Amino acid sequence: MTEFLQQIVNGLTLGSLYALIAVGYTVVYGIVQLINFAHGEVFMIGAFGALATWTVLFKGQTGLWVLPIMVLGAVLVSVLTAVVMERIAYRPLRGAPRLAPLITAIGISVFLQEAVRLFYPGAKSKLSFPEIDVVTGPGIAVAGLNIQRAAVFTVGALLVSAALLWYFVNRTRLGQGMQAVSQDPDTAQLMGINVNRIIVIAFALGAALAAVGGVAQGLLNSNIDFRMGFLAGLKAFTAAVLGGIGNIQGAIVGGLVLGIAESMATQFIPGQFGGSAWKDVWAFVLLILVLVFRPQGLLGARVVDRA
Amino acid sequence: MSTSTPSNPPTQATSVAPAHSDHDDELVKVHWLDRVPGRGNPAAWPLGLAGALVLIAGTFLSWSYTSDVLGDLSVNFWPGGVQICMIVLGLVALVLLLAHRGPLAGLGAWLDTATSVRALGLGAVAYMLGALGTIAVKSGGIININPGGWISLVGALMLAASGLMLVSRQTKDPLFAKTSSWLEICTIIVLMALVLFGAAYALDVGDGASFVLFLLFVASVAWGLSKAGVFTWIGLISQKNRQVLMLGAFAVAFLFPFTQGGSDENMSIATQVLIFAATALGLNIVVGLAGLLDLGYIAFLGAGAYVGATLSASAFATIDWKPPFLIVVLLGACFSALLGLIIGSPTLRVSGDYLAIVTLAFGEIFRLTMGNLDGNNGPVLTNGPNGIPAIPDLNFFGFDFGQPHVIAGITLGRFANYYFLLLVIAAIIILVFTRLNNSRIGRGWVAIREDEKAAEAMGVNVFGLKLFAFAGGAFLAGMAGTVKAHHDVSVTPDQYIFLESAFLLAAVVLGGMGTVAGVLVGATILKLLPEKLRFVADYRLLIFGLVLVLMMRFRPEGLVASQRRKLEFHEDDEELAQRIEEVHLEEAEAKA
Amino acid sequence: MTATDTTPVSTPDSSGAPILEARGVTMRFGGLTAVKDVDMTVHPGEIVGLIGPNGAGKTTFFNCLTGLYKPTEGEVRLLGEVIPPKPRAVVMAGMARTFQNIRLFANMTALENVMVGRYCRTSSMALTSILRGPKFRREEEATRARAQELLEFVGLGSSAENLARNMPYGDQRRLEIARALATDPKLILLDEPTAGMNPQETKQASDLIFRIRDSGLAVVVIEHDMRFIFNLCDRVLCLVRGEVLVQGSPGEVQSDPRVIEAYIGGGDDDEDDDAAGAAADPTKEEQQ
Repeated sequence: MTEFLQQIVNGLTLGSLYALIAVGYTVVYGIVQLINFAHGEVFMIGAFGALATWTVLFKGQTGLWVLPIMVLGAVLVSVLTAVVMERIAYRPLRGAPRLAPLITAIGISVFLQEAVRLFYPGAKSKLSFPEIDVVTGPGIAVAGLNIQRAAVFTVGALLVSAALLWYFVNRTRLGQGMQAVSQDPDTAQLMGINVNRIIVIAFALGAALAAVGGVAQGLLNSNIDFRMGFLAGLKAFTAAVLGGIGNIQGAIVGGLVLGIAESMATQFIPGQFGGSAWKDVWAFVLLILVLVFRPQGLLGARVVDRA
Repeated sequence: MSTSTPSNPPTQATSVAPAHSDHDDELVKVHWLDRVPGRGNPAAWPLGLAGALVLIAGTFLSWSYTSDVLGDLSVNFWPGGVQICMIVLGLVALVLLLAHRGPLAGLGAWLDTATSVRALGLGAVAYMLGALGTIAVKSGGIININPGGWISLVGALMLAASGLMLVSRQTKDPLFAKTSSWLEICTIIVLMALVLFGAAYALDVGDGASFVLFLLFVASVAWGLSKAGVFTWIGLISQKNRQVLMLGAFAVAFLFPFTQGGSDENMSIATQVLIFAATALGLNIVVGLAGLLDLGYIAFLGAGAYVGATLSASAFATIDWKPPFLIVVLLGACFSALLGLIIGSPTLRVSGDYLAIVTLAFGEIFRLTMGNLDGNNGPVLTNGPNGIPAIPDLNFFGFDFGQPHVIAGITLGRFANYYFLLLVIAAIIILVFTRLNNSRIGRGWVAIREDEKAAEAMGVNVFGLKLFAFAGGAFLAGMAGTVKAHHDVSVTPDQYIFLESAFLLAAVVLGGMGTVAGVLVGATILKLLPEKLRFVADYRLLIFGLVLVLMMRFRPEGLVASQRRKLEFHEDDEELAQRIEEVHLEEAEAKA
Repeated sequence: MTATDTTPVSTPDSSGAPILEARGVTMRFGGLTAVKDVDMTVHPGEIVGLIGPNGAGKTTFFNCLTGLYKPTEGEVRLLGEVIPPKPRAVVMAGMARTFQNIRLFANMTALENVMVGRYCRTSSMALTSILRGPKFRREEEATRARAQELLEFVGLGSSAENLARNMPYGDQRRLEIARALATDPKLILLDEPTAGMNPQETKQASDLIFRIRDSGLAVVVIEHDMRFIFNLCDRVLCLVRGEVLVQGSPGEVQSDPRVIEAYIGGGDDDEDDDAAGAAADPTKEEQQ
């Protein structure tokens, strides 16, 4: 029983991370029907942004007050990357056959990974992420469960981000503009909504959450590397589809479900095909099953027919 | 070309030939060229002639004081390879100038000579600057550049200036040039010989700088000739004489090992290019013809390779059955195709982007599974991350692929042996590709790409055709994989990472979706350049990513584009559609 | 160009076995009932018209007949056989269609477009195509010849090598008809074949439809142009809000006060093409 609860805790942590990234896929997809394949890289760059902020400004410091500034640094770098990416690479391709943006996305993905590897000092191997008071350190023991401190941060970050996001989408003019564009871009444009601006905001929003995810990942694993975006991105995409792509609540639910499923699979699939060696395989199998049998996701996607 | 007789060209093309794709707004704005001082000056033509001659003359003198830079350029009247390139460029420029005005004017009526000379001139300047810069840097100072180099640079500058001053005339569209068929066939043969010679030369070039200069040279000449409109004509005649072209291409490919003088070093690169090209051609059926985006294609190559390895005589092979290799090839291909069916039959109903992700996930599952089946995390089948090493060479009826053989006095080493085998496989794939493309099935694929719903409403078996493309592509990749296992000697999971699939896709996209020549070009560029440009090795992937983005932005149809694909990527370009229709009508007429 | 007379010739023999029998076809999208309990029977050699204000469910009904939609209720019989609601099965059974918003394969030539229509009546598979045996050549030759013949039948014989996207609008409509005819149908469904045409082209279109009928096919036409439809059809169905309001000879329908009421009272007019276009686009309709 403790084992089971422990896996739930682990799953929720992992799931919160996936959810933070998945929102980016879903927001962008909901508005431009584009799978921004390079979103995993935005997440990775967020982690490096946080590390860079710490290295430049606070090297050696471990106070909790450093954390918000690191997050801010991460968000800035990620948002900048995402916005530039949208402007330079994706916007000119709007209306092109679907193959074009997808291949562009692969190109951006490889480019960003390599750029970090080559130009971030020391990034050719793993870099250790700073220890911060309160959110890292020995786990908290609750009722026989061991809860990582960074896990608390991750889940908390998701809760705060989700609340802010909900407020933004439902209670601000821009958020409502975003909903309008996702319903019908042409009409929204005729109604005087600046569609390009909304799209940029969607990219920025996703990037900001992914950056928070990047910081969380750094704290959880206490190291980061330039490849971390690929797998995380793919799983987060699974989460987005699982929840129903284009559906923001769905992305969060999907992330949590995927995280828990993955933890459970690692722990409870018996025999040789269980364990951590196969956990990514099971995640991918789940991805395929979801895409094939429930492409509209658990909570329903905005658009299913993609003829 | 000199025999071109203007027998009733349907329409006299009114626009200057090369202006089609470049700038639509050219007509509105004053072109920057019109602000060049001395534009239209009658002195431009003699200046160009003089420039070309000076350029050539300079190459016969020494360029460099030291003899160890860019080959040996220090001997008078004994031009080295780097200098010979400029002689060739100078001669091409001379011919074009003489066609512009003078004895070859009949030819000039068809070619936009002025633009072409401009391209050649600018290319020559870039080349000379590069060459002289390299000499200066490598041998420690500008002082080491000998007069010949300066003379050639002046010649190049004169040529460029002349090109900028010459004014394009209205030319007839080379599309409507009627040429005798022997001339066309000769052109194709010469072209093929040039390709063979160029490839052999390029592979032989030792240092990176010379190689880059050679690329610059090829690019300049190709740019110049395409500006002149020569490629339009070549494209048309290669359509008309397809058999000759195919035959020629295979003759060239077949003869290539004999140019290597028994050295296996370049053959090793060549076989890698061939494996890559053959796989990319298979992928081109899936992506280019059927329009399905497959991001896990490398897994099918891997499946074939693993079948080849586990059924081989390697001491590490885990299956104790050693069938003859031809059976292994079939088994590998069928196993791949089976995987294709298993993954394809449920997923091909989800369309577009989702299919890309599903195939990506499948590729990762394959790699991870191969890395796991080591006895600890599953049955022993693949030895996990260590893979299956020590796969013996193939042996066909006593012909040992591991041993060198001497044919016509030329030694052909291990890689040359594999090269011929791979050539056969590539030929099979090309045959399958072109014949399917040109059949009922091919038409069905185009219809699906154009409008899936309409295709279905017209009775096209959409799902069946997609599945066939998917499984068929897997079959071909599996076939290539079995040979790859023996060629590589060992099979490990890390040869089949996602990036390899991305590379394959890039070869297809870069070269041109739906064309054979395009994929061959793309595969060669992607495999050959990293081998030759060791000094950018670390930046290889960075450049690769950038190139993908730029290609999609500026030339999504690829370097050698299929006309239909070009149209699909430029839906609102009416001029292009009209032009392609003209090409079409010409071809139909030529067939009749 | 044999039967170019513009008047309907004879009332067809309605005692023969019907080609098409639709019974109680109903289509619901969520809460919206687009087509409600529609019956339609088409006999050999008959031209049936389908009219109705915009949004009346005409195109949706076509989509139900041709398998693009799976009707919520009801069945469709072709030559007495119930056909499964799959577009391909429908075409194989002998019913072909054109689209309201032209859906040609834009980057293929006219000839290739028609050759795609022959797909379901030819059988060369992969191996034959790769090996290029005599059977393949014969079939390919026959396909090409038949396609050219059909192009000539619709009056596009000289445009075979033109790209579909470069063709004038009227020619594109006729090319779509040729493509549909290439599937050897017994019954052809035309969705607004004269939309956007000038009077002369409309005249040509009705000649073409008569010639199609005379070659032994039954035709069902959706049209907004009343004069066109009443001149052309043997029988007319008027669909309003998804239900059959009136059906009968052109004269009966024309003079029925309910039809006039439906058109005027509905506040629709024939120029409102955008709304019709939106309603006809199956992807959009599905989302609503």
